[in-house]
Amino acid sequence: MAKRTVPKLLQTPAVLLLLVWMLVPLSMTLYFSFIRYVLNSLRRPEWTSPNIDNWRGFGNYEYVLNAKDFWFAVNNSIFIVASILVLTVVLGLAFAMLVNRSFPGRGIVRVLLISPFFVMPAVNAVLWINMILDPVLGLNGLAVGAINNLVVTLQGVPVLGWFFSLWPEFDAISFRATQSSAYAVIMMVTWQWTPFAVLIFMTSLQSEDESQKEAAVLDGANAWSRFRNLTVPHLGRPIAIVVMIQSIFHLSLYAEIEIVSRGNGNKNLPYLIGEFSSNNIGAASATGIFAVILANIVAIFLLRMVGKNMMD
Amino acid sequence: MSIIDKPSNFGRFAWPTLAWVVALIFFFPIFWLVFTSFKTDAQAVKPEFLFTFTPTLENYTNMTENYDYWRFAVNSVITATFATLFALVVGIPAAYAMAFNPSRHTKDILMWMLSTKMLPAAAVLYPMTFLTKNFLGIFDTHFLVILVLCLINLPIVVWMLFTYFKEIPKEIIEASKMDGVTTWGEIKDILVPLAWGGVASTALLTFIFCWNEAYWTVRLTTIDAATLSKLIEGNRAPEGLFFGRLSAVSTAAVGPIIVLGWFCQKQLVRGLTFGAVK
Repeated sequence: MAKRTVPKLLQTPAVLLLLVWMLVPLSMTLYFSFIRYVLNSLRRPEWTSPNIDNWRGFGNYEYVLNAKDFWFAVNNSIFIVASILVLTVVLGLAFAMLVNRSFPGRGIVRVLLISPFFVMPAVNAVLWINMILDPVLGLNGLAVGAINNLVVTLQGVPVLGWFFSLWPEFDAISFRATQSSAYAVIMMVTWQWTPFAVLIFMTSLQSEDESQKEAAVLDGANAWSRFRNLTVPHLGRPIAIVVMIQSIFHLSLYAEIEIVSRGNGNKNLPYLIGEFSSNNIGAASATGIFAVILANIVAIFLLRMVGKNMMD
Repeated sequence: MSIIDKPSNFGRFAWPTLAWVVALIFFFPIFWLVFTSFKTDAQAVKPEFLFTFTPTLENYTNMTENYDYWRFAVNSVITATFATLFALVVGIPAAYAMAFNPSRHTKDILMWMLSTKMLPAAAVLYPMTFLTKNFLGIFDTHFLVILVLCLINLPIVVWMLFTYFKEIPKEIIEASKMDGVTTWGEIKDILVPLAWGGVASTALLTFIFCWNEAYWTVRLTTIDAATLSKLIEGNRAPEGLFFGRLSAVSTAAVGPIIVLGWFCQKQLVRGLTFGAVK
């Protein structure tokens, strides 16, 4: 009997802590999402504290669905996450292949490649938006200037000169402007998370079955078909894992968006919740529930994949 | 090596060169951050002073004056250290129980723990503020930050430890049971020493995650328990044009962590993929 109870007792603290952590705030969010709860309501002071009498049913959900920022935030969340995913997977695969064979200084190359992952998100955003992407103060303007100079020089070249004289003069883009701030976020997060993809693909490539590859060579398969028929299927799982883990992290991006443009023209659901939270708690909570639903759609797939693999 | 690896002369030089170029490009922003931290503020906002400047240490010597750096750094150290310790104290027994005495529900419990990690933080932002500010009165305290950091990392800690503990032969634990060793003795004298490497890398990784956390630490603190994330976030604006000094605090904030990260890059894969990629 003692054999069964002791292990159960040992995992109780962890389970209890997480249970409280998950249930208490989430059920409060659920409750707030069904009542009128507005912090700065001068007209209706009774709405400024949570009370079951202020029941609003699905009113908050309706309000949020009709708010002009909501669909923009949903689309933008998906746009940002999808762009980051495509970029990190493609770059991650390419770089992992690149460092998979041994060459002089491979250890150092790996260390350099991995470093961005450990930079804290706040520093990442401040560094990119100010010192790199700023058109005047950062390297962005300098790089565009260099390209313009190059084009001018090339215009003097015989024969090809006329082709370059057709080129316009480039302007440095400001990434603080509303539409382009999403690109800045995508760039900085891609920079930070490509190392993660590289690391995972590298680990996976190392465990690839070499003898299978050799057999393929003996059978006359060329490099491309070896890649296509052996390596790609082998990488299927790690790619899926990278995609899902990143989706979960990036669906809740916040610091980068805040730092780049304070949400101007570039909101995602967490940011929208943050904005509602300064006043309309009911709407913030309803948006929160939508965010939970969106995250769960991704999470279910991930849990299935991890679970399949877990006990063996 | 094998018959596949017979690169041509071109391949022998082109691949490593390309790898080096890519790695240097990727590292460049970090290099640029460190580099800028040695410029004065006036030079730092003029990128045309690319490499021509006289290096100065004043950004580092004035860190306390400019930003009160050490107060935030101490907060970061305290919260990350204790959060990691608590997560281990709670996580080791749980992972031990799951690895050596799995029941029918172990898999479900592990899965459920993982699912708590996927709850978007923003969804529970207001309830957390409400609870801690109006109800418990622990808003902006070290205790709260430690608690939250511990809780958000607990699933990863349990998972990582679980994958390490599973590799220890069950016979060792069973033999010690025969010898009448208590459960506590098993954990302390057998499990932790055997899985020392795993426990250490779990701790290191958790510490890094706690240090870099930028949602709860920013939203649940104002002054007293504010960490380095909050400091950087609060000085994000370009208005002041203090790139030199901002780079210095940023370098001081990320430098130690990047070095720590280099030591646990292998374990990172296990920790972040919950053991699904080995």
